[in-house]
Amino acid sequence: MATKYVKYVDVTKCDGCRACMVACKNWNDLPAEPQDFLGSMQSHANVTADTWNVLTFVEHENSKGNLDYLFRHSSCFHCTDAACEKVCPENAISYTDKGMVVVDQEVCVGCGYCEQNCPFDVIHLKTYKDENGKEYRKAHKCTMCTDRLDEGLQPACVTTCHTGAMEFGEKDEIISKAEKRVKEIKERYPNAQVYNPQGVGGTHTIYVLAEKPSVYGLPENPKVPTSAVLWKDYAQPIGKAMVGGVAMALAGAFVANKFFDKKNGGQEEDGGGNHE
Amino acid sequence: MGVATMSKTHNSQLQVKRFSKAFVWAHAINGIAFIGLYITALPMYTEFFDWLYPLMGGPEGARLAHRVLAVAFILPTFIFLIFDPKGFMNWMKELVTWKKRDLQFFSEFVKELFGFKSKHVKQTFFNAGEKINSLLQIVCAILLIASGFTMWFPDAFPTALVQWGYFLHNVGFGLGFAVVLGHIYLSVIHKNSRPGFTGVITGKVPAEWAKDHYTEWYEEEVKKGNFPDLDDPKNNKKKGA
Repeated sequence: MATKYVKYVDVTKCDGCRACMVACKNWNDLPAEPQDFLGSMQSHANVTADTWNVLTFVEHENSKGNLDYLFRHSSCFHCTDAACEKVCPENAISYTDKGMVVVDQEVCVGCGYCEQNCPFDVIHLKTYKDENGKEYRKAHKCTMCTDRLDEGLQPACVTTCHTGAMEFGEKDEIISKAEKRVKEIKERYPNAQVYNPQGVGGTHTIYVLAEKPSVYGLPENPKVPTSAVLWKDYAQPIGKAMVGGVAMALAGAFVANKFFDKKNGGQEEDGGGNHE
Repeated sequence: MGVATMSKTHNSQLQVKRFSKAFVWAHAINGIAFIGLYITALPMYTEFFDWLYPLMGGPEGARLAHRVLAVAFILPTFIFLIFDPKGFMNWMKELVTWKKRDLQFFSEFVKELFGFKSKHVKQTFFNAGEKINSLLQIVCAILLIASGFTMWFPDAFPTALVQWGYFLHNVGFGLGFAVVLGHIYLSVIHKNSRPGFTGVITGKVPAEWAKDHYTEWYEEEVKKGNFPDLDDPKNNKKKGA
């Protein structure tokens, strides 16, 4: 089996410099989105279609009653079992050979189903205007710098990180590294843990979190919505089979009627009354 | 229901009024909106129909048309209820009235659908098949309209509701499609029920056909003096059926 690669984010080594945000904008040619002051160091409330990663700043009172200033590089998790990929009606979302989740904007119709079903709220629609002033939308999010990965480079955010909070490497190695790191910091952060949620089959961004996921505004047990599984794996195929079944039954009825009409001397158009 | 209109030329063309104007309009708007909604939704249901996008002005055009048609789809219930409350209540009453003859109807219906010899089971204004069609389409309409709102205005609803909306919209789509195939086949293609198709457009159906297919309703209307008694020799009926 091919080697699996993941991004490693050790939030306890992050110093909140936001160079990852700048590197992302720079590499991916994303326009700036000027923001109003949000009341903290955090620049954007959440990732958007033009801001694929945001450094979040959480002021948290820990169990000893002290203040922890928690930083987290947040962007797409690249789920192994991605809800956005599941619900996309146009197959515009797919997995790369390295397991990264990417959107093909040429195929995307801007329906926003992915936006509503992402358990991490990381995929968003951007509104464009064509030359006639007509508006259309496309979904955008972090690509894990797939274009860089294909050239043997690492994601821009990882390359630029100066504290070593981010790495990109082999999955198994990264997981043991993360587990080791959690042991090291347990004394200072008793709730420290590896975040690699299994409800979405594991992710391609693996975190060492200093606190419980909910402290960072992350879901404790993210999963592909049950509604999405029932919709795509059951309702849709059953619906198609049902339509096909009815159509075939009616085609059978049509042929049978023609057959019996022929046998009865071709009497048709009786106004519907003479079939008793 | 209304008064029979005697045809001056031929007795077999004797027509009786079956549907009110409100019913005809409500049905037509419902039908056109329904078909339009399905056409604008097909590429989202299966990529096989993506070729429809350019014809509808791209995905944006399809989305806009789908929303306009969605509003049209909600109207017919109110048109029927406001302009023909008696007919509407009769429809509701019939939908909850189920008797043994309704079950008998289905065994005869299957024979008749495939062209075997069958006999008529006495039915009221709506036959058991039409009642099933109505019930299923009412369920589908409720599913589709309710979930449609959560999909249209996702910001106004909790995420979970929006997510379940997609599922329910899909269920409504599949079920509604299967049901309407049967409904359209029986009215447009199946020869024995075809007068029902012209009937739902003009509001009138052949008296003999009405008497055969909706005997109990026809006899009631005769009693009320609304319809001609076809067994009366005065009406010069040729005994067929």
